[in-house]
Amino acid sequence: MDRLQKLAVNSEGFVFDPTTGDSFTANSTGLFILNRLREGKSADEIAEELKKDFENAPEEVSKDVSDFVTHLHTYNLM
Amino acid sequence: MYEIKVAVSGINAVDNPGPGVGVARSLKEDKELNVTVYGLAYDAMEPGIYMDWVIDKSFIMSYPSGGRDALLERLGYIKNRHGLDMIIPNLDSELPIYTKYANEIEEMGIKVYVPTESQYKLRGKDKLEEVAKNMDIDLPKSKVVTSAQEVMEAVEDIGLPVMVKGAYYKAEKAYTTQEALNHFHKIAAEWGYPLIIQKVVKGEEMNIVGVGDGEGNTLGKLGIKKLWVTSQGKIWTGVTIKNDAMLKAVNKFIEFYKWKGPFELECMVDKGNVYLIEINPRFPAWSYFATGCGINLPSNLVRKAFGLSLNMNNDYEAGKLFVRYTYETITDMTAFQNVISKGEN
Repeated sequence: MDRLQKLAVNSEGFVFDPTTGDSFTANSTGLFILNRLREGKSADEIAEELKKDFENAPEEVSKDVSDFVTHLHTYNLM
Repeated sequence: MYEIKVAVSGINAVDNPGPGVGVARSLKEDKELNVTVYGLAYDAMEPGIYMDWVIDKSFIMSYPSGGRDALLERLGYIKNRHGLDMIIPNLDSELPIYTKYANEIEEMGIKVYVPTESQYKLRGKDKLEEVAKNMDIDLPKSKVVTSAQEVMEAVEDIGLPVMVKGAYYKAEKAYTTQEALNHFHKIAAEWGYPLIIQKVVKGEEMNIVGVGDGEGNTLGKLGIKKLWVTSQGKIWTGVTIKNDAMLKAVNKFIEFYKWKGPFELECMVDKGNVYLIEINPRFPAWSYFATGCGINLPSNLVRKAFGLSLNMNNDYEAGKLFVRYTYETITDMTAFQNVISKGEN
């Protein structure tokens, strides 16, 4: 099982990594992206979904998703 | 269930707590075991003496430096006068004498489930390279040193900063060669030679408590990360973790060395790399954490020693929190008077 799947994530955006004991908090958008990544969706797919689901989603949403994924890599979660 | 009288030492539940009170509490929480817990203390002020809800009776012991005769005489007194079936020694300073005279203590009819003398020597930091190799994990680059010249050569080879470590106790970080030399002289004066100069590795410190049955199997283990420590480096808050690489390495440690008794392994984990930092051949002061997560290691130790059925439900949940707190108990002077005047209460 990869690291993302092992994470314990609650509906409030509290994220616990059982491999390291680290915990994080994600805002509602971060939580949305994280849950979709755990479902196996790609960054592009998630960006498209965000554009559909959120009114007035900014054009740079793809970059924001990509930044979030970079953060996950930084924390060794991907 | 027949009564089993178990003595635990290290009942100094102070700012640098001994493991004994947590061990006693764990034994009391196994409702299938009928355990009477004796506390073995070295000072009348050890708080465990006054914690009668976990420790039924306490005895003052002679210091381990008193040697074999004083130890066996005191244990013989407790055995003959009050009955004693098993001892769980919990302090570093006691382990040399208990490992050395384990057979004689057993011959007195007192079980003592401690590592063998050769296992006990593995905790030496000059032995860790071999241990890490046999666990298939890494050891931070290290050099064993016995002189100032060797310290300078080791620092040159390893690169700053370095850890300067006594073979068994004490570790200091040095950012310059001069600082490394200062630590070297200070630690050598206090704890003797050899010392170890070790590369500082990045990563997160993680710990495991467990018990080996002496036959290559585990009687349970639990991995944690310390979240908050005191100024003395003692855990105040921690969380359970399941780090596969570390748990796998611990299984190898138990299998390879057929480890007997309790242990705590300290590791640094950096992504997938696990570095062995220290082996403590006893329960740590936080071992009740495991009991609270459903893995009662002291109980399984006693059960194994007496050939009773083991509780082998060894799975635990990651993300359980350990929170230590301060608490006060008020008592009259009777217990203190008894300990001072009679050496027991």
